[in-house]
Amino acid sequence: MIILIGILVSVATYLILSRNMIRIIIGTAVLSHAVNLLIMTSGGLKTGNVPLLGHGDGPFTDALPQALILTAIVISFATTAFLLVLAYRTYKTNGSDDFNELRGMSDE
Amino acid sequence: MTVDVAIILTPFIFAALTPVLYRFISKKYIGWLVLSVSFILFLFLTTYIPRISDGEVVAFTHEWIPSLGIHFTTYLDGLSLIFSLLITGVGSLVILYSIFYLSRSEQLYHFYCYLLLFMGAMLGVVLSDNLMVLYGFWELTSVSSFLLIAYWHHRKASRAGARKSMIITVAGGISMLAGFLMLYEMSKTLSIREIIGNVEAIQEHALFVPALVLILLGAFTKSAQFPFYIWLPDAMEAPTPVSAYLHSATMVKAGIYLVARLTPVFGGEALWFWLVTGVGLFTLFWGSFNAVKQVDLKALLAFSTVSQLGLIMSLLGMGSVAVYLGNSSETIIYTQAAFAAIFHLINHSTFKGALFMMVGIIDHELGTRDIRRLGGLMSFMPLTFTIALIGSFSMAGLPPFNGFLSKEMFFAATLHIQELNIFSLDSIGFLIPIVAWIASVFTFVYCLIIVGKTFFGKVQLHLLAKHPHEAPIGMLISPYTLIVFVVGIFFFPNLLGHYILRPAMASIYPTFPTTQELTPHIHAWHGIFSPELWMTIFVIVVGILLYRLLKRWKPIYRALPQNLSLNSLFNNGISFSESFSNRVTGRYMTGNLTDYFVYIFLAFLMIVGGYFLQTDIFSWSPVDRESLEVFEIILVLIMIASSVGILFAKSRITTVFLSSVLGYSVAFFFIVFRAPDLALTQLVVESVSTVLYLICFRHLPEIRKEIQPKWIKMRNIFISLAVGATVTLVGFAALNYEKFITISYFFNDSYELAGGKNIVNTILGDFRAFDTMLEVVVLFIAGLGVYTLIKLKAKGGGTNEN
Amino acid sequence: MNNIIVLPLIIPIFTAVILVFLRNYIVVQRMITITTMIAVSIISFFLLELVQREGIIKLDFSGWKPPFGILFVADTFSVLMVLTSSIVTVFCLLYAFSTIGERHENMFIYSFVLLLVGGVNGSFLTGDIFNLFVCFEVMLMASYVLVALGGEKVQLRESLKYVLINVIGSSIFLIALAYLYSTVKTLNMAHIAERVAEAGQDPMLTTVALVLFIVFSLKAGLVLFFWLPGSYVVPPTAVQALFAALLTKVGVYALIRTFTLMFPHQPEVTHTIIGIFAGATIILGCMGALASRNVLTIAAYNIVIAVGFILIGLAVGTESAIAGSVYYLIHDMVAKALLFLLVGMMVYLTGEKLIDHMSGLIRNYPLFGWIYFLTMLALVGIPPLSGFVGKVLIGKGSIEAGSYVLLFLGFASSLVVLFSLLKIFLSSFFGETIITNEDKKPLPIASMASFIALALCMIAIGLGAEQLLVYVQDATNILVNPSIYIDAILSES
Repeated sequence: MIILIGILVSVATYLILSRNMIRIIIGTAVLSHAVNLLIMTSGGLKTGNVPLLGHGDGPFTDALPQALILTAIVISFATTAFLLVLAYRTYKTNGSDDFNELRGMSDE
Repeated sequence: MTVDVAIILTPFIFAALTPVLYRFISKKYIGWLVLSVSFILFLFLTTYIPRISDGEVVAFTHEWIPSLGIHFTTYLDGLSLIFSLLITGVGSLVILYSIFYLSRSEQLYHFYCYLLLFMGAMLGVVLSDNLMVLYGFWELTSVSSFLLIAYWHHRKASRAGARKSMIITVAGGISMLAGFLMLYEMSKTLSIREIIGNVEAIQEHALFVPALVLILLGAFTKSAQFPFYIWLPDAMEAPTPVSAYLHSATMVKAGIYLVARLTPVFGGEALWFWLVTGVGLFTLFWGSFNAVKQVDLKALLAFSTVSQLGLIMSLLGMGSVAVYLGNSSETIIYTQAAFAAIFHLINHSTFKGALFMMVGIIDHELGTRDIRRLGGLMSFMPLTFTIALIGSFSMAGLPPFNGFLSKEMFFAATLHIQELNIFSLDSIGFLIPIVAWIASVFTFVYCLIIVGKTFFGKVQLHLLAKHPHEAPIGMLISPYTLIVFVVGIFFFPNLLGHYILRPAMASIYPTFPTTQELTPHIHAWHGIFSPELWMTIFVIVVGILLYRLLKRWKPIYRALPQNLSLNSLFNNGISFSESFSNRVTGRYMTGNLTDYFVYIFLAFLMIVGGYFLQTDIFSWSPVDRESLEVFEIILVLIMIASSVGILFAKSRITTVFLSSVLGYSVAFFFIVFRAPDLALTQLVVESVSTVLYLICFRHLPEIRKEIQPKWIKMRNIFISLAVGATVTLVGFAALNYEKFITISYFFNDSYELAGGKNIVNTILGDFRAFDTMLEVVVLFIAGLGVYTLIKLKAKGGGTNEN
Repeated sequence: MNNIIVLPLIIPIFTAVILVFLRNYIVVQRMITITTMIAVSIISFFLLELVQREGIIKLDFSGWKPPFGILFVADTFSVLMVLTSSIVTVFCLLYAFSTIGERHENMFIYSFVLLLVGGVNGSFLTGDIFNLFVCFEVMLMASYVLVALGGEKVQLRESLKYVLINVIGSSIFLIALAYLYSTVKTLNMAHIAERVAEAGQDPMLTTVALVLFIVFSLKAGLVLFFWLPGSYVVPPTAVQALFAALLTKVGVYALIRTFTLMFPHQPEVTHTIIGIFAGATIILGCMGALASRNVLTIAAYNIVIAVGFILIGLAVGTESAIAGSVYYLIHDMVAKALLFLLVGMMVYLTGEKLIDHMSGLIRNYPLFGWIYFLTMLALVGIPPLSGFVGKVLIGKGSIEAGSYVLLFLGFASSLVVLFSLLKIFLSSFFGETIITNEDKKPLPIASMASFIALALCMIAIGLGAEQLLVYVQDATNILVNPSIYIDAILSES
């Protein structure tokens, strides 16, 4: 499982290191999947029942990471939405989706 | 006792008031007002002379930051008194002089404001007992000096000179602060008196020598010692009264003050002796040697000041051996060097002040101070000539002027010191009188230049902007007052010695019991066979000879390479550090996002990965607790395939498609991991995201094939694999860490506690409701942000929007 | 009574929401915003006094006892930070009213500022590490919008970079949290501290600490500051000043908390790395400041230098060094805000950014020029201004600990600060004026008021050092004795 996360992280990193806007954005998405899975594993895997009281009587899986992931998913969704619009606007105004061309001088 | 504080505060108060007052009083009177402030302070300080010479000290403490031991402590003893009198006395004369020197069209209130600021700061330096407060005033003198040098800040040279002086003196100040802090660390007190009283305890400390060096750096930069003197000639861009006041009589003597003040602490350390004496002597020589080649009278005086400061410094160094030797009838003779130092310090202030004012008069009346244009002014300006003559001859060490007395004592001190056999003086000590003598020859030469090139020879009226004429009486009062002292001290030196110098000696040598012995009787005549007299005579003979032959040997100055001078070293140093920084900064601050990501990942790899690898905490349990079911294996394979697929995806659509496959797989995983709520959320979010991606990417161009050099590709692959590996390895280790039990057991009682059966929901809705609330806030901001992004377009035609 | 702790977070956020509905009433917006921030400042001051009287206070949300619920903790350090940031915000707002323009005011800028402040205050006050992440996100999200607000070409470009870098940062934060949870199995900071101490901070835990270190370094601009000069110079001046005063400081705060409270047991690893990073930050920051001739960039690199300087105190770790860091942090929030407002005003008045294109401003605007001069002296650490005491304390601490390299770098950096700021002063304020009286833009009175107020703060922080030190020493006492904090949170009362 962790190995899968490792692969996802590698892929994400590679995408992020690309110059293309789309690939970077997808890279962050892949990274956040990987991170969520990692949080999931942090509670220990499959060691119990669904954390619903009344559906079996435990032991339950660690519910706390699940709660954290939920929060994280929502936040990353918010960020992604903003990011996409920003990317679109940047492309429209700057006319490029290549970060090699979006350098800008420090003394502008 | 609060009057002592008032002494320091008064100038500051008036400095603050001047910019306000100037609106109400005529420009004519502002100078007089300031003068009265300074003169009253002077008179007030003179009332202390009897008390101080009786061996009294006046101290007063006002607490500022007691928890750090920083008190506002004033401490008036013999040494402080001399400096205070100089500061206010010369200050009054300079202000009087400025009233006539500065045109009324100038922004006079700035000038007087800075001058008072300086006066207060300088009084603060010499009256403070607390090292931190002293440091504060010390930096304030640098600041006010900066402002005064840049007084005519529309001139480029003024700004450059101001910058140089500020940088060098503040740098010295900062190093001094570090040294003070080390003293504090050793002695646990910031009071100079207490440190002196407790010297034995700190002398063996490992920080003793570093503190010594750092503090000396401060003193040397302030007192324009080699190689830091370079700011002083450039400081001559200041109005001449300022040069007379700050850059010859008072501020540059702050370093001397500090060295004298701390002699009881550091004196007796061989390094202290050699640094102070050696640097002083070399500065003495170097300053006088360079003064000869100057053509600007003011620059000449600046180098002469450098040289004289070196002289005083070296005397203090020689005097410090007495601290090493301890008090006995044989060692008392070495204290005379320090005595000569303070004596010469006063003398220097008198004759150099007069000389600066003389140059100011020439500049003011003729519009130039270039000696190539001057000459033959004696008949036009006889009164000014008298100032120049007496001032220069005193500086050259001729009788019947005060410079003669202290110069003789200087020679005597150099002769005494070389006979000692401590600090390896027996091997190279003989150099001391030789260097001193050579320097004095050059001093004599430049003194002749001042008088000869300006007042003798032919008048070159066509080179002068104005017709030469004598200065107004107002400008002559101050220099003549000083001249009276120059002559007066020669005839009544022991008056000064008894009332002023003796108490100061007690401050420098607190461990010597009787100050009476420390105060030699000053004689003008030591007998025909005294070696110092013959040294003076030879100085005069050789000096006159050299002056006559000036044209013959002057070319040696050109032999010295210009670009190796300290000045160009300083300037090149600055421009090099700027351009070097520019190159380095430009190299890593590329503006390219990819590079920035590389830095982040590299930092992550180096710190986290690096540390992780060199520990042995990685544990791999081959019997993985996960027993994968077929379904899960398929899921894993799908995810791997789709993620790797993204890497090779050629089009936007494929990328988004593969990414959402990945997202949905994650959702399935959540089901496998008994997290139904998560799975649901993930499904919803993933669907919405996919739609968003599609909408957004439709507007972005198709992914182009990236053409990148191979090494960049290799680098990216390496970083990616390494980051992935690090995350995996640390993850394994973290999973196998089983020292603690989780806090989640608590939530299993959620039904009883929060009334919810779904544990995850109760956590979100109750236990960690606050997170959820803020999460909503984040969503809200994002929504609002998206709205503004779409609505608020750049002004002008910056967009390609229709 | 304890509920008061949450107000510095809640009030700005609620006000921000209300402001959205008052979009077209700009004057009302301004009034409400500044009243809110003044109220928050007063509350924070009250809180500071309360903490002084009663020791650390905590607020367990929904009444769940730690370590199970989320809680806010007010100790002297965090409240000092909240107080300083609130006061600074008030003055930045004052400046904003006179300069920012209706275009921005219509676009909810005050809402975003308030949300930013809410996030910042939340980050200072929270006692739960995951909640810290969430507060960070509130703050970051608001800052993303503020950087991009205005829609200029440069702004969008830089903000996209800024957002992407921070998204990665947040992911690393989550990775760190995942590791943290799988090792110590708890999220409450005091509880983490207790468990880490129990386990003796073995290498595994130190690794986790280092992941956190990377995250906070990125936020604080410690070595990983390259995002800073670009993104800090594009938004409107008042926002820049807020960023300069608050954003990196939150990272610095988090670093100090992490390595004094939670992971203080392996200083030979963590504090050495912090020291190296602090040194490198100072060097690189100094080079950046030396290299630039753009007033905004010079100011931005000065932030970097200060971050390095403050963290010397943490790296050294003695009591006086940490007190120095806390003190310097407060000073720097005020002085950097003022510096950014001043250089922003220079740009506003002249329309130029390069120092070579400005000259003689002090003749046109004398008071403005002298306040700049004063700020410069304060940043260099000249007594009795605000930078002095912190500098002395950090210097003293470095000597006690024998960290002479850091001492040298720290003190040498003041010289570079002086050099870089003097460069601006000499070439832009001094010299012949190039603005005639007809062309002279009037300097808005409200801005001038905020300059004067901040300058007075600087003087007060310096002269009133003794009064402030009472608080700083109390804050330090808790930082160097984390057990006080832990006991206050975990013991049942």
